Amino acid sequence: MSSSRISGLCIQELQVEYKSGQVALGQVNLTLPEHGIYTIIGPSGSGKSTLLRAIAGLLPNYTGELLFNGKPVHDKDILVGLVPQNYGLLPWKTVHGNIQVAMKITGAAGGDKAEREARITHWLSSMGIADLADRYPLSLSGGQQQRVAIARAFAILPQIMLLDEPFSALDAVTREALQQIFLDNWLAHPATALFVTHDVDEAILLGQRIIILPAGKADSIEVLDNAAVFGMKHEEKRGSNEFFEQTKRIRKVMQEKW
Amino acid sequence: MNKRITRVLRLLFVFLCMNLVWYIVYLLMNHPILPSPGSVYKAMFQLEGREVLLNVGYSLLRILEGVLLALVIGLLIGLLMGRSPLWNKLLDPVVYLTYPIPKIALLPVVMLFFGLGETSKVLMIMLILLFQIIISVRDGVKAIPENTYDVLTSIGAGTVQKFWNVTLPGALSVILSTIRISLGTAISVLFFTEIYGTEHGMGYFIMDAWLRLDYPEMYAGIMLFSLVGFVLFLLVDLLDYKFMKWRR
Ligand SMILES: Nc1ncnc2c1ncn2[C@@H]1O[C@H](COP(=O)(O)OP(=O)(O)OP(=O)(O)O)[C@@H](O)[C@H]1O
Ligand SMILES: [Mg+2]
Repeated sequence: MSSSRISGLCIQELQVEYKSGQVALGQVNLTLPEHGIYTIIGPSGSGKSTLLRAIAGLLPNYTGELLFNGKPVHDKDILVGLVPQNYGLLPWKTVHGNIQVAMKITGAAGGDKAEREARITHWLSSMGIADLADRYPLSLSGGQQQRVAIARAFAILPQIMLLDEPFSALDAVTREALQQIFLDNWLAHPATALFVTHDVDEAILLGQRIIILPAGKADSIEVLDNAAVFGMKHEEKRGSNEFFEQTKRIRKVMQEKW
Repeated sequence: MNKRITRVLRLLFVFLCMNLVWYIVYLLMNHPILPSPGSVYKAMFQLEGREVLLNVGYSLLRILEGVLLALVIGLLIGLLMGRSPLWNKLLDPVVYLTYPIPKIALLPVVMLFFGLGETSKVLMIMLILLFQIIISVRDGVKAIPENTYDVLTSIGAGTVQKFWNVTLPGALSVILSTIRISLGTAISVLFFTEIYGTEHGMGYFIMDAWLRLDYPEMYAGIMLFSLVGFVLFLLVDLLDYKFMKWRR
């Protein structure tokens, strides 16, 4: 098979059914180059979270193949950084503790304590939450928890990064600031990333390509090239003509398929 | 900080009031079976320090051993039942059938099987606690939402790592409250088991004073025994304070 030699994340004929027998995700075929970032939009219930969970190895039952650089995604040496839709923080650990435990388990920073601490501090301050290090998740706002979850995903320096609506709980201003921060950090550490969002603008701002999941499971997915916008400076994207064109294109697909 | 001081003051106040009531009843009864608080405290301070320490130490050790044993076995079984539907199905009827047996009624059986020595004393305490702990661990573990494990699973955490980071802390609050509730019963049972086959422990001390008709010393023993119970409760509170910070 030639496809197994393709570098990056290769999703072949992925289909997910839950126990009830209901199809949660229709056939998905997709190749995401290594160090690439694609955004995913789709109506509620279209299977966005299901797709990410399948890649993260949280679903025992799916059909199809998931390969990363030719190896099964669930191989031990392929590290997946997940930011779940519900943030996935352990409530009994502090912000610092949540990141620390993930780093310990993955052996990030080579098990060196000082190095680990330095990295935790680094990621917390990049997300602008350095002062929350000793707080417990239940005492944080939704937006703060999301930032902790993102910091944790970055801190383990994963090969694959899966983000499930990571900015959904933020106000517009914080959201835009964090999109910028996220993109800067991603450019510095470009993991192969899938970014789920409900926000059309966000999908255009952050993705090299935009994947649109259909409402009907039998429909095929739509992949839009977004290289033109992605290549611009982040501040200039919103005002550009390409951005506007892209918005129109997506709205058209949404009208047809949602 | 201020809150804690007022709490301590309130406790002290209630303690003083109880002593006052005791004193009034003593005056009304005027009979040697109820000595005055003063004579009991005097008897307490006249006790030989080494002997008191030895008795308290023995009682504490038995409780500690019983609690630890119950915790280890209870955690193991409760965890198994909480995480695996198959084991839950197998063991649930067993627990269901044995749970209502009043464990104190098993005292003669345990004595027959394990003699009058330390083993039967520790085993009785364990039996009292075990079933409560099994059930609360199982329910505590089941109550942890499945997706709490997601991120750790996705980064390849093993069973042991998931246990220490999710299952145990997730079930800890239930475990602590169960220990708090069953500790009282465990202490009562300890008293019974210390009446026979030993020359140490608070139960022995109290009954010995009773046989010698030394009532002030008997009451002093009861007060000391209560103090032991109180200290154990404080210990559980302390653990709760340390490990349950995240809920506040
Ligand atoms: N654990 C589950 N058991 C059974 N069905 C499920 C389960 N999780 C999701 N589903 C179903 O699978 C389908 C896809 O769900 P999914 O969570 O992937 O949607 P989504 O695109 O992420 O939606 P949203 O935008 O609301 O987050 C839905 O129809 C949902 O009802
Ligand atoms: Mg979702």
